[in-house]
Amino acid sequence: MQREELGVLRSRMSVIAYGVVAALLILVAGFWHFQMAQSSYYLELSNNNQYKQIPLIAPRGRILDREGRVLVDNRPSYDVVFVREGSKHSIEQTVAAFASGLGTTDDDLLDRIHKKRAEPKFRPIILKEDINVADIAFVKARLMDYPEIRVEFQPRRKYRGDLAAHAIGYVGEVGPEDLKRDDFKQYKSGDEVGKTGLERVYNNVLRGKDGYRQVVVDNLQRQKEVLGEEESIPGNDIRTTLDLDLQKAAEEALGDQTGAAIAIDPLTGEVLVMASKPSFDPNVFATRVSAAAVQALNEDKRHPFRNRVIQDKYAPGSVFKVFMTVAGLEAQTLSPLDHVNCAGTEVIYGQTKHCWKAGGHGPISLYEALVNSCNIFFYNVGKKLDIDKIAMYAKQMGLGRTTGIDLLGEDPGLIPSREWKAHAFQTRNKAEQVWRDAETINVAIGQGQVAVTPIQVTWAMGGLASGGRLKQPHLVNPDYLNKLGFKGKPVREESYEVGAETLSIVTQAMWGVVNDVKEYGRTGAKAAVPGFDVAGKTGTAQVVALEAQNKSEDTADNAWFVGFAPYRSPEIVVGVFVEHGGHGGVASAPVAHAIFDTYYRKKTGQFNPPGSGQIAQLNPRP
Amino acid sequence: MSEPNRIKGFWKDFDWALFAAAVLLCTIGLTEIYSATKNINGDIAFYKQLAFVCAGVIAMFVISSVDYHTISEHIPWLYLGSVAVLIYTPLAARRIAGAKSWIDLGPVSFQPSELVKMVAVVALARYLADLHIDRYMSMRQIAKACVICGIPVGLILLQPDMGTALTYLPILAIGVFLRGVRPASLVAVALIVVLALPMSWYFLQGFLKEHQKDRILTFVDPGRDPKGKGFQVFQSKIAIGSGGFFGKGVFKGSQNQLGFLPARHTDFIFSVVGEEMGFLGVLTTLGLLGFVLFRSLYNAQTARDNLGLFIILGVVGIYFFHIVVNIAMVIGFFPVVGIPLPFLSYGGSSILTAFVGLGLVISVRRRRYVN
Repeated sequence: MQREELGVLRSRMSVIAYGVVAALLILVAGFWHFQMAQSSYYLELSNNNQYKQIPLIAPRGRILDREGRVLVDNRPSYDVVFVREGSKHSIEQTVAAFASGLGTTDDDLLDRIHKKRAEPKFRPIILKEDINVADIAFVKARLMDYPEIRVEFQPRRKYRGDLAAHAIGYVGEVGPEDLKRDDFKQYKSGDEVGKTGLERVYNNVLRGKDGYRQVVVDNLQRQKEVLGEEESIPGNDIRTTLDLDLQKAAEEALGDQTGAAIAIDPLTGEVLVMASKPSFDPNVFATRVSAAAVQALNEDKRHPFRNRVIQDKYAPGSVFKVFMTVAGLEAQTLSPLDHVNCAGTEVIYGQTKHCWKAGGHGPISLYEALVNSCNIFFYNVGKKLDIDKIAMYAKQMGLGRTTGIDLLGEDPGLIPSREWKAHAFQTRNKAEQVWRDAETINVAIGQGQVAVTPIQVTWAMGGLASGGRLKQPHLVNPDYLNKLGFKGKPVREESYEVGAETLSIVTQAMWGVVNDVKEYGRTGAKAAVPGFDVAGKTGTAQVVALEAQNKSEDTADNAWFVGFAPYRSPEIVVGVFVEHGGHGGVASAPVAHAIFDTYYRKKTGQFNPPGSGQIAQLNPRP
Repeated sequence: MSEPNRIKGFWKDFDWALFAAAVLLCTIGLTEIYSATKNINGDIAFYKQLAFVCAGVIAMFVISSVDYHTISEHIPWLYLGSVAVLIYTPLAARRIAGAKSWIDLGPVSFQPSELVKMVAVVALARYLADLHIDRYMSMRQIAKACVICGIPVGLILLQPDMGTALTYLPILAIGVFLRGVRPASLVAVALIVVLALPMSWYFLQGFLKEHQKDRILTFVDPGRDPKGKGFQVFQSKIAIGSGGFFGKGVFKGSQNQLGFLPARHTDFIFSVVGEEMGFLGVLTTLGLLGFVLFRSLYNAQTARDNLGLFIILGVVGIYFFHIVVNIAMVIGFFPVVGIPLPFLSYGGSSILTAFVGLGLVISVRRRRYVN
């Protein structure tokens, strides 16, 4: 080889050598960047890859009746969820691969994902709830290609159809506005919480505490190793004051009618029955598949979601005459010996007022006036009392204000007064703000402005029957909550003076309404239970005046029955309201009868309920 | 020279340092192949690789004992035979990752395009060494050199296996550069390449397969991720970055053991090294690879003639290209092309080719003294 040529080749080789050195140095610099400068960042990403926290969802406590029978239970269920983090497909690709297999559309799934787009990417988004075996197989078969789609365990509520649905309520995913509330702020999106009823009010007692399991997973999200576990703490069972047998009897008796029934133990305030019709099946909220069913319920003109026991107020009609009697006797504007001649019509304050009985009752005593529900008699009682006295006594007895039941959304009802009218009509002209005496006459028979909720009139009746002692109505005994380690608000108790004679006159008359065979009226006869001294008062409230503006509404009278038993020492007070039911004695008294009758048969050991339900094993915790 | 002396001389002139570096690299490779596949039931990649290494070592000894002049003399037949095999391959081959570049040989399959590289190296070396030129090659001579490399490249592109075809470029580039081209031509070629890249993209639209287009587009814009190619490189970066200075320990890399790394015992073996052995392991491996390159360059300098020098430089070119492209790929500095890392990546063809190259280098070294 020529030396010259070798020299040239060597110089060119050194160019190559420098190139090699430069390239290797660039690579070393690259590895320095990843492994030294940014190592902690990539270590975190690597940990995110391999460590996963699997939530262990705490089973929610059951809801039981007063005898420990299960009203609400849990059942196992599975959801399909989507985790965006680490997915190697675009959202559209993933959705396209699963939509039809899950029996839905791309748009539905994209919509669900879109609603949660602001949440952390590692948080699973539910694509389909409460899936069946075929869905599970469909998803598991695609686990290799789509590890971002998984099946997750999620226990679900199992309700007894629409039984006591309004009192119990239902659960659902916590909403953004719920999360702002103080008692819900410990939850996070995706958690299931009580939305209404007892599920809502006692959510923190029922819910328990979710645990988690820290695991190592591989690239297909298969669990490889468990690093640690914090067990979930199951929620507490709640024992309510409801009586399953009475509840069933009330709901069956109400049937398809629109209305409400409530039964309270006046001595303790325990609510034994809370029924509102039409009702709904809370199970429909378990899945979004039944969104159409929920929509239909929402648009139903009969408003099945309203708890008519506490949320709606109605004119009490003749039931109010009981409270008028007490007010009159206590204010001494009415004497037990007073008689009024009912001619069928009477001109009061320049207006011709009618009794419900054409031709009139003739000369009538207080007892007869109550039993026969004579309007003319009570027009005069009202005239002598005047509105502000009526309001004072009614309020004292528990009307026109909330009872404090442990549910949300209770309506206070309305007992009108001069002060109320001036306030309520303050935007109108002066003349309209002044109370007119003619209005008092309407109030005297439970019509006009006066409006009560079924719970409050029943509560007030119970308080009166037990001698002026009002116990706050409740569905869960606070002592029971205290035993579970929660702070139960003590049952509020109030009392007012009522003369023994007054009480005797009123309760005797109410006994007569149901039982006095001599009186041809006996409007509450259908509530009678042989051997059990039921006392009560019917009410038939006109709807036309209240709802005249809406002619399309049914304008049949609203039917009331409010009563208690036994009439000398009441253990149970029952209120029944049937919307457009017609006469109270016809539509409402039979429902009250069903409750009284069941109660009495249970009390005397003659009750054998068909399939009375399993008795739950209570497991109280320290 | 008596027979015992010849044998003694063989062992004395043998490049033990180079061989030792190659064996160390294979050991690192085998360790991480074992680590990457031990969780897969019934996977015998480790044992197969061990067999490939043994076969490669034998091939290296055989080739290093043959005079490279003898190989050069037989190169026309070897070259024609190679072309024939490359034509036969896509006709008989089964499809792997979209390309027909493998031939089934009973229990193992073989990728002829890998080994043919070494034939191309010797063929080009022979042509360049025989040229009588002053200082620079003529255009005609450059064109002929291009044809020698171009025929196998064209056939490989038809398979189509762009990654492997690319690895022939450094043979030609280094050969022609060494033999001498005018600086003006060098600049012209550089300009043409720079300008041709974006233009060829439009030209190649119809020619490139979908997965090849995706890889290139993903490299240009990693946020674009239609089929998860960016995901692959991202997981590799996580593996390497999380290794830190000392690494997570052999058999303890979570990215590797839990299957987050794709192609972890083949093209992405170096990310496993990075994760389990850390920056220290990366420096050691890069050091050993650098040693192989420089030891070979040293052998080229002491070569007896131009033929030996060109053969070694061809082999170095192939090694260098594989090393730089593969390692740049695992840290996202280069698009994902299916190019294995010599001596480390799993694969019979790759290991055999690497050791055949080593045999050629040592063959040249053993005959460095004119006698």
